[in-house]
Amino acid sequence: MRRKHIGAALGFVFTLTGMAAYARADGIDDPRRSDYFKTFEGKTIAFVPVTMGIDLTEGWAAVMKKQADRLGMKFEIRDPHFSADAGTQAITSLIAEKPDVLVVHNPDVQSYARLLKRAEEAGIHVVQINMRSNYNSDVYVGADWIGIGEAEAQGIVDKCGAGTSGKVAVLQGQPTSGSDSGMMKGVENVFTKHPEIKTVANQAGEWDATKARSIISTVIQQNPDLCGVVGFWDVMDLGAAAAIKESGKPIALVTSGGGEQMACDNVEKGAFEKEIAYQVMDQGRDLNDMIVTVLESGQQAGKLKAVVYSPQLIISKDTLRPGLCWSAKDLKK
Amino acid sequence: MTLGEWAARLRYRYVPDHIVGEVLGRRWMDNVIPVTLLLALSIYLIATIPNFVAYGNLSDISRQIGEFGLIVIGMTIVMLAGGIDLSVGSNFALANLTALALINVAKWPVEAAIVATVGVGALVGLINGFLIGFLRLRAFLTTLVMLTLLRAIVELLLQRYSVQIASSDVESDAWDFIGAGSILGVPLSTMVLIVTAIIAQIVLTRLRIGWRITAVGGSRRAAYNAGIPVRSTICLSYVVSGLLTGLAGTLYAARLSGAGPDTGLGLELTVVTAALLGGNSVGGGRGSIGKALVGAIIVSLLTNGLVRLGLQNGSSSMAVGLVLLLAIAIDVRWVRWRHNLHAKVYVSPAYLALPKAPSFAADAASPYAMNDRLGNVKIIGLGEIDGPEDVILDADDNLYCSVRQGEIVRFLAPDHVRREVYAHVGGRPLGMAFDKDGGLVVCIAGMGLYRVDKQRNVQKMTAETNRSAFSIIDDSRMRLADDLDIGPDGKVYFSEATIRYGFEEWVVDALEGRGNGRIIRYDPASGGTRTILRNLLFANGICVAHDNKSVLFAETWGCRVSRYWLEGPKAGTTEIVIADLPGYPDNINRGSRGTYWVALAGARTPSYDLAMTMPAFRRRMARRVAGDEWLFPNVNIGCVVHFDANGAVLESLWDLKGENHPAITSMREHRGYLYLGGVTNNRIGRLKLADADPQWTGESSYWGGSR
Repeated sequence: MRRKHIGAALGFVFTLTGMAAYARADGIDDPRRSDYFKTFEGKTIAFVPVTMGIDLTEGWAAVMKKQADRLGMKFEIRDPHFSADAGTQAITSLIAEKPDVLVVHNPDVQSYARLLKRAEEAGIHVVQINMRSNYNSDVYVGADWIGIGEAEAQGIVDKCGAGTSGKVAVLQGQPTSGSDSGMMKGVENVFTKHPEIKTVANQAGEWDATKARSIISTVIQQNPDLCGVVGFWDVMDLGAAAAIKESGKPIALVTSGGGEQMACDNVEKGAFEKEIAYQVMDQGRDLNDMIVTVLESGQQAGKLKAVVYSPQLIISKDTLRPGLCWSAKDLKK
Repeated sequence: MTLGEWAARLRYRYVPDHIVGEVLGRRWMDNVIPVTLLLALSIYLIATIPNFVAYGNLSDISRQIGEFGLIVIGMTIVMLAGGIDLSVGSNFALANLTALALINVAKWPVEAAIVATVGVGALVGLINGFLIGFLRLRAFLTTLVMLTLLRAIVELLLQRYSVQIASSDVESDAWDFIGAGSILGVPLSTMVLIVTAIIAQIVLTRLRIGWRITAVGGSRRAAYNAGIPVRSTICLSYVVSGLLTGLAGTLYAARLSGAGPDTGLGLELTVVTAALLGGNSVGGGRGSIGKALVGAIIVSLLTNGLVRLGLQNGSSSMAVGLVLLLAIAIDVRWVRWRHNLHAKVYVSPAYLALPKAPSFAADAASPYAMNDRLGNVKIIGLGEIDGPEDVILDADDNLYCSVRQGEIVRFLAPDHVRREVYAHVGGRPLGMAFDKDGGLVVCIAGMGLYRVDKQRNVQKMTAETNRSAFSIIDDSRMRLADDLDIGPDGKVYFSEATIRYGFEEWVVDALEGRGNGRIIRYDPASGGTRTILRNLLFANGICVAHDNKSVLFAETWGCRVSRYWLEGPKAGTTEIVIADLPGYPDNINRGSRGTYWVALAGARTPSYDLAMTMPAFRRRMARRVAGDEWLFPNVNIGCVVHFDANGAVLESLWDLKGENHPAITSMREHRGYLYLGGVTNNRIGRLKLADADPQWTGESSYWGGSR
């Protein structure tokens, strides 16, 4: 239908200008198209995650790689494997190599801050994903952590109100990370309004399920009437879930994470009461759009200062449906 | 000469086989593998990674090496003292956290915070040191426990302070400068490393405490027996390690300002890897700051390079692990292998064709014909002395001899029955001579040239000569000073038998048959020592001629006596005086009526002479046969040869039964008697000379007019 309209319109225009001989053309070139592809040809995107091998970073990397391949860009990963020092080495050397865009997943708000500033001074666009640093670079794409913290806390308040002990444990990942500082703020925002909730423990599992398990099982032993756990990352909180299952007590675990199939499965099993998810695939899409934007803008690095918060997705027994979660397994396909 | 002999002679003259063994024997050979590795790695990284040598990247790498290198130096010092410090990983994290907490949270001034942080590191070291040094706990377990303990403390503190640290930002130019500043283009942490390395190098190699640390690591018991305070020395090494770790943690804190739980995780392993890879021994006693730095740079480049090559998860820890295995293998294998190889190839026989030996058969018409003139000598000090290599008499007829115990023993005139230890000089005293002032100058194997004055004070005259330009082994030290004589101007001419072997290994030098000996001149007026002749075949006896215009010297394995001209038209040249002795000449001394005496320590045999023209055979023998099964030069029978100033042999004196003087190494004429000494004898002999000047003494011959 649409094509017909265009054809008719074009025919009309051409007839009007008296160039009927050319009326056979059934499309016109978009002058911006070749410029568009030229903009990206040969550009380099470098990605420095906290570590590879987890759903979040694998998901973002897969989405970014797909776009890079499509647009003829080079996509490189430097994996520091949970070491901030190795990460600084990676970024330092990248500054010398001058990729066009540097996508950084900060382990905490400070370690990379100075380097990211230097990178932008060197003309590299810096995009921070999910975990921000104290330095505000061109773009931040990621979860609205305060919002997620509030939603998680609300989920616990719903379960641990009147008639329960009101005792709650907070299981952070890494308190100095961009995510935890925000989530903690959100949790505090809600809990201050609910004096019936008593925070009996607030510890850091360092993104490690084994550590999370030992922390929560200790907390349960100290507080047999524990009502709920606010976890800050689903992969780590699997350990907390295991500790709860071991204790055999009906303790509610609310978590947050990337909305991978594992989250849906665990909500279905009842291991997680609720997950407040930031969808990794959508975040990848946002990353791609922002990469394209900074490259197309032609602006100097460090000028843009854009923030793109990912929308929240609540995964609970009420919202559960097939296809709600994405599957890391399918990335390879 | 056949073509084969000619070829062998050329081959052994121009192919320097001995260099291989000498190179392998050098201490710097320890560093060959690490340095090669470093070069190879650098070339690889430069070739594969773009911009690797760009200033920015190099300066960032060197900043990281700065922190890492400090800890490796600390570890090296602990390892030198025979320990290991596994707590550095956690100590580093603790220091990082302390610095950040003091500066970001407690708002301390930067200087105070640095001092406090380094102090915390040193305190941890002190606890380690106290437990290991004084309570004598096992270093490995103690520091492993400390690693876990400190890590737990760090985590507890992190829970408390990490958010506060992360949420506060410090505006301090000094702090920023420590983290990111440079001096003359060199990052501050690299500067700190360089300064620390220089100080550590000086302390370890030049100061008493450094030697003590190495000694304790080499052998704790021996160090204790030598009076070194072992416990406090060990304790100190841990304090230094802790202190340097604290310093590194401060620099890291300033650079990253990040109080993460991963700080210093696994660092201890990387540090041990670097220290070992550089060539420091895990057993202690062997290592250096240079080795530490090479190891630190290799490991830093490797981890940095792996991150830059974009390798996957965990591969960098795997690489460090593999390198650690390699380092351990080097530590154990390379060193042992090198020692074995060194022992095998060090002995490198040369081609030596001696002139035909004159016959010394009893009925031969030569002056060497065997007789029994030494069969009935008067025996002095039988069984009371062990190996009087040289004998000498003073103006008062007292008899001195140099014995194996490192002593100069004096038999008192007139009957030479009573004896006393004249002086204890140490080492193995050999040749002796009196100087103008009556001081006894002695060549001491393993020590050099010494003088015992009339008050019996022992002083060193010289133990070091000029080093030759292309010598691989250090030939400035004297290994085997053998015999000496003194010119009228007081200059001391002395021989060093070989520069490749010690006194006990004289037979290996014989087997080698290479000119390893030399003659050295010491001038007491200027204090200078110079080597004047090199490449002599076991330079041995030496004697200033009666006219003081030349020096006669004997080359034991060359079986000849030569003359080195001091003055006159031939000054500085050497000529052979007796080319074909039937045995192995030892000391040469003046006799009365313008003659000279030379002792033959052994007699030549056709089999050994033949073997000296077959270097390959001797090498095979040295490698495959135990030392006591080797073909030895015959030192079971010798004689004394009397010759005149032109080298004409006047007579020879033998001991047929070989009971009193089977091998003679020295003889002195004194008032018509000849006194005989032997390096393996237990007695001194005295023989009445029929046609000697009964008034003549060595003392008067040398210094007669002047005293």
